[in-house]
Amino acid sequence: MTARAPLPLTKAGRKLSLALIAGGAVMLTAADAPTGGEPGIHAFVLSNFFLVNGGEADVCKIPDEGDLDRFYATLSPEDQAKFAGPEKRQALEIYMNEKMGFRRIFMWGERSADVKYPPGYDPKKTPTPEQAIAIGALNGLPKGKGRLAFSNREVVYSSCSDPQDFRHLAKNFRTYNGPVAAGINLDEKVSKEDFTGPDGSKGVDNQLWRAVGCVQAFRVDSQREIASKDMISMRAPTLIELRGVDDMQNDPDVTVTVYAAADPLPTDGRGEALKSATFSVDPDPRLRSTTRGRIEKGVLTTEPFDLLMNYKEQIVDAPRDIRGARLRATMKPDGSIEGNLYGYYTLDSYYSFIEQMTQNGSILTQISCPGVRQAIDRMADGYRDPRTKRYTAISSAHGFKGVRAFVAPQQTAQADQTR
Amino acid sequence: MKDPVITTQSQAKRRRIAPFVLGAACLTLAGSIAFTFSGARADESMADTPPSQLRRLTELQYRTAIADAFGPDIKVVGRFSPDLRIDGLQAVGASAVSVTPAGLEQYEDIARAIATQVTDKDHRDRLIGCAPSATDAKGAACARDFIQKVGLKLYRRPVSSAELQQRVAATLDSAARLNDFHAGLAATLAGMLTSPDFLFRIDWPDRSGRGIDAWSAASRLSYLLWNAAPDAALLAAAADGSLNTPAGRAREVERMMASPRFADGVRAFFTDYLRLDGMDDLSKDALIYPAFNSSVASAMREQTLRTITWLLVDKKGDYRDLFTTNAIAMNRTLGPIYDIPVSKTDWYIHQYPQGDPRTGLLTHASILAQHSHPGRTSPTLRGVALTEIFLCEKIPAPPANVNFAVVQDVNNPTLKTTRLRLQAHLDDEECASCHKRSDPMGLGLEQFDGAGQFRTLEHDVTIDVTGSFEAKPFNGAAAMGKLFHDSEQVSACLVQSAWRYAHGRNPVATDAADIARLTKGFAGEGHRFSALMRSIALDPGLIALPRTIRADAPRAKKQGVSG
Repeated sequence: MTARAPLPLTKAGRKLSLALIAGGAVMLTAADAPTGGEPGIHAFVLSNFFLVNGGEADVCKIPDEGDLDRFYATLSPEDQAKFAGPEKRQALEIYMNEKMGFRRIFMWGERSADVKYPPGYDPKKTPTPEQAIAIGALNGLPKGKGRLAFSNREVVYSSCSDPQDFRHLAKNFRTYNGPVAAGINLDEKVSKEDFTGPDGSKGVDNQLWRAVGCVQAFRVDSQREIASKDMISMRAPTLIELRGVDDMQNDPDVTVTVYAAADPLPTDGRGEALKSATFSVDPDPRLRSTTRGRIEKGVLTTEPFDLLMNYKEQIVDAPRDIRGARLRATMKPDGSIEGNLYGYYTLDSYYSFIEQMTQNGSILTQISCPGVRQAIDRMADGYRDPRTKRYTAISSAHGFKGVRAFVAPQQTAQADQTR
Repeated sequence: MKDPVITTQSQAKRRRIAPFVLGAACLTLAGSIAFTFSGARADESMADTPPSQLRRLTELQYRTAIADAFGPDIKVVGRFSPDLRIDGLQAVGASAVSVTPAGLEQYEDIARAIATQVTDKDHRDRLIGCAPSATDAKGAACARDFIQKVGLKLYRRPVSSAELQQRVAATLDSAARLNDFHAGLAATLAGMLTSPDFLFRIDWPDRSGRGIDAWSAASRLSYLLWNAAPDAALLAAAADGSLNTPAGRAREVERMMASPRFADGVRAFFTDYLRLDGMDDLSKDALIYPAFNSSVASAMREQTLRTITWLLVDKKGDYRDLFTTNAIAMNRTLGPIYDIPVSKTDWYIHQYPQGDPRTGLLTHASILAQHSHPGRTSPTLRGVALTEIFLCEKIPAPPANVNFAVVQDVNNPTLKTTRLRLQAHLDDEECASCHKRSDPMGLGLEQFDGAGQFRTLEHDVTIDVTGSFEAKPFNGAAAMGKLFHDSEQVSACLVQSAWRYAHGRNPVATDAADIARLTKGFAGEGHRFSALMRSIALDPGLIALPRTIRADAPRAKKQGVSG
């Protein structure tokens, strides 16, 4: 809605005033939300979130082979013969673990019986990073090594926990060198590192795709047909809420908040994300970001904002820390949303997700931890640390899909008065 | 379809055996229930339901009785025979059902499992309190105490000395044979749990032969107000005779209505009246209504019951306000169906703003979803349900040769709305005669799909929800609810249904004056449901034997027996 007459308040201010007036009315009538939810508020829960590729022109002729194959290539002919064939891959992995000195210290289950712990360690609490190193030292890990893994149930030393110790496994790691990639021009510059977008747009910043765009697992998962069926972070999905929406087709000024849900994503009878479910919000304020946006012809575009998004999947708990994020999304008549999130993914939060897959997971998915770590460090292009002069984040483009949802009103409901 | 000959024979036979033959009832069902039940449909129509003196416990009543007698940790595991609904009420059907051989096997399995738990090492100290050996001389006293104590709870009357003697002897005999006192007691308890004295609520005549005795009266009151067996205080009132006095009965009724268990009784009535038990078996096409599942169905039923008890019991509100209230019990499970943000994770009362289309009982998803097809709405099913439930009018089943092709063609390119398709169907005058009674009300609910979800369009065409009720026009479910609120027939139907629920039978001509008096009193008390229940509970008619079977009445004639 455009202001037709000068008003002393901004649109946000006016809406706040109206909300207060409405709030007063709500208090008087004790009314809750009407059918369809409060007017002017639209929310979505994301069911799918994925790295997005550049379409048909986005090609990687030879994908990266992963650590295990790279290790196999370093073996003697005799050893290669011994471990040849897919049925020997498990034995090869065990052999690799031995040769590389990878270790897993189990702090849970039967194999935890002989583990030594430092004085004062409380097994009921999650160890601190310092305690993990201390546990590592007591149980034979190299000095100063040892990181928590597998939902904090193990202390490990591997090429994923300490990729800098296994740089040779990153040798010849294949990166994406094509001219086309998904994304937008985040830095408003056109440089030689930039891609061309699938629509021909110039200056596309997506160095993350340059780093990992030849990892087969990411290439497959970036295909929209596959990605849109692979629900992710179901136990802690992300919510996008729009407030102050006068017209879902065109509104130059809306407030956009991204929340982490405290509830898992329910599915419906078709196995898809359930529409119109209500989600409580994670109380952690770091997992909540607000920005302004506009809607043009049903497409939402936001101003840049910093965002910490939950990413909890099986053993992975690695919130995505994305700086200067921008949303572009189409809101559909059926109440769903589909779009992209662009921004600078901090290196440590991105690598946290890679690392938490664990060494075993990296072998299964053929994702080289040292390869990815070196590549993102080398290709990072955002948020330079003034002290180290090194970039701390990398430009990225993700796709997402979501369905209509509600964010739970903030504990304003009446007490349980029913039997 | 029910065989009328068998039904009538069984009715006649029951009249002959009750109440005097039952006085000599055998100890287990296998020996005592000689008459058979014909396997009727889930909903039958029998305007001349017999005077009820025997009512089989419903599954919920059975489970409640076990929990009350032995504690909630005793598991009741097994399948129960389906309850029969007659003219809309299972409470009336309970007077017409018996136990089939297969049903008896199920009861025996359940009873044995209960008896095993009650007598096992985890429970015997608390529930039995003595532990003699198989041949211990103290065994008789232990068994006698247990049977007396448990028998009072299960039979809802004292165990007679003859019964007690026989049960104790059987216990000791079993204990000796099994070389285990508790195994012997378990066998006795299993027998008690399969006895008609437990499985059936039996109205025993008093000495005058004109009314029922105090124990039977206690059961009638407690099942009406609590849907449970009498508690110790009520049994004590029966034992000391105070329940036979108007003042004593009033005292007990007030006590029971002040108890939290009164809400259970209200829930039981409305579960029956609104046919909410049907939600247990309700299924929908997952491709058409993906938000619907069995958990949602259970929550829908619970929602309606919670809304009712909140308004009628907690708030002591006007029954008619159920049709116009903006308040509805809500939880997160139902949020997607109602398309609203749900503020709490637990149940709470959601207050819709004024003017919301979701207003009143008629817009509850339990009502809307249950009376729809698995993949589409049905104004006819909904209209029939509203007519039968809230107006107490019966609409006959359609003839077998009806062509529903037009109605079922939901993707008809020209008849895009259900209203248009039904209109085409009504070109058949034979069909129209019934449809014009039911469909206008059902069409008024068309803004709610087959799962109870709100919509304004059907195939991109705006849904017309205009109609008329009692010659008054309405536009939409909320407006129709207001007409229901104002309808004397709707209020009178509730009274009649509550009376039938309490008495377990359909009224006959001589009952009309009683029901009319209750209806007038209901209006005079501001349509408070608790006032109605109190009036029914205190009505002398509740504890009178039906006139047709009183000792001083002429012998009932056999009716309709042929072949």
